[in-house]
Amino acid sequence: MKFSFESLLNAGGSRLTYGLLNLRILGWILYGFTRPGILVPSQILSQVIRIGVQAIPMASLVSLSVGFILAMQSSTELGKMGADSFIPDLVSLSLMRELGPLLVAIIVVGRSGSAVAAELGTMKVNEEIEALRVMAIDPIRYLVVPRFIALMIMLPCMTIFGNCVGLVGGWAVCTLEMGMPSSFYIMRAMQRPELWDLFSGLIKTAVFAHIIITIACYQGLNVEGGAEGVGRATTSAVVYSILWIIIADTILTGLFYFVL
Amino acid sequence: MSPTPKKTNPSSDVILEVKDLVQSYNGRAVLNGLNFKVRKGETFVIMGGSGCGKTTLLRILIGAQKPTSGSVHLFGEDITKASSQELDRIRLRFGMNFQFGALFQSMTVGENIALPLQEHSQVDPSLIEMIVKMKLELVGLTGFENFKPSELSGGMRKRVGLARALALDPELLFSDEPTSGLDPVMTAVVDQLTLDSTRKIGVTAVVVSHDMTSCFRIATHMLMLGNGPRQGEIIAEGTPDEIRANPDPFLQQFVRGEADGPIAFRLSQDDYLKHLLQEG
Repeated sequence: MKFSFESLLNAGGSRLTYGLLNLRILGWILYGFTRPGILVPSQILSQVIRIGVQAIPMASLVSLSVGFILAMQSSTELGKMGADSFIPDLVSLSLMRELGPLLVAIIVVGRSGSAVAAELGTMKVNEEIEALRVMAIDPIRYLVVPRFIALMIMLPCMTIFGNCVGLVGGWAVCTLEMGMPSSFYIMRAMQRPELWDLFSGLIKTAVFAHIIITIACYQGLNVEGGAEGVGRATTSAVVYSILWIIIADTILTGLFYFVL
Repeated sequence: MSPTPKKTNPSSDVILEVKDLVQSYNGRAVLNGLNFKVRKGETFVIMGGSGCGKTTLLRILIGAQKPTSGSVHLFGEDITKASSQELDRIRLRFGMNFQFGALFQSMTVGENIALPLQEHSQVDPSLIEMIVKMKLELVGLTGFENFKPSELSGGMRKRVGLARALALDPELLFSDEPTSGLDPVMTAVVDQLTLDSTRKIGVTAVVVSHDMTSCFRIATHMLMLGNGPRQGEIIAEGTPDEIRANPDPFLQQFVRGEADGPIAFRLSQDDYLKHLLQEG
């Protein structure tokens, strides 16, 4: 059978399963690279701001708190063994490999994933999705793809930013409370992690972004039954996203630990 | 007096043809073997009581739903067998005015009307702005470009929905309950807009409604769908004068809006007893 973008764009016809949604997103993105006007930069930018930029303050606050907590908790135990100097290593490694990607993703699920599911769900209930179809505008292309690209760009950026803010939290505890010199903290925190530690965190972030936005859009586009349905879809989007993020995190961590 | 239909050539001017259309849910037929044609220039009104399948029929006509069996030929193409791309191409030739407007709440009125133009035409943005103003003037909402749909009344939202449906100058306009929930003055305004679209712009209109005053005001051709024991059948079809003269008791009860008649809203005594004694 001959392959065509059109077969991906309309995979499954009027049905919309989770797998078909992923196929159509892929189809539209590939198609968008070959045809001008499919991927509209202004639409993507507007979603970058709504889904990503506006979530930065909340993600930063959580990252800062985690930096504080990691430094304070580890100082108690490491201090007993006279290993205070390893606190910056622990803070930076924990944030880059695990806590940064995971916590920022969970914040984005709660703030942006739920908002996307509720927004698309309300649009479905108000017949706005139907109106798009009748105007020969594919809802996946017009509503889902800009959100997908925006989060795939923004979640890694937010995670890197969150890691930096978390390191500031650790620095504040180490220097202001424990009297560690700033230069020592910065040197240890920067030298210990390898480039792979950052990359492994970013690979996780890309997978989490995919999980968050596809589940939110899938739940939103499949709303049935009015306001109650929108509430159910929003709850499902948050619960399934967090569940799959943690499962994916376990699988990826295992893969990085045992295989790579 | 009913608007006079344009003289049409019966064979070549058919825009929409429905053949043996059946829609069933769980073995229960909601639409039962419908056959009718809509000709160019007509204002074709589909009427019927609540639950008779009007909205289902409209969803099938715009390609939003596949029927159980039968065919719908729109501009000569069978949309029940059309692929998504073919359907999108056909959809560019008609507009749809939804019951509650279905306006995009996150956009302004102007952006709502501009959307189909931005998506499907290569028109310059300044020209799109001008077309939006023209469409708003057509529906009597000049100066409302920057309002959000939530800032408008129900009647205004319906008029914006009509302006958006007419944005691409379609050949055919579908309208779902365009006057439901409106006061008599606003009903007359919306009816006048429908008439203006058909008479002045030459759009063919298919209107689904149960507002009889409105139906007789705008229709050049009418079709009544039955419910209850005659669920999903065409009870009557013809010009407004033929509908008024039709002696069918179902039709006359509906046209006159009488509570008593063959369209029962309660079970008969026998059926009620049977229902009460039914186990489970």
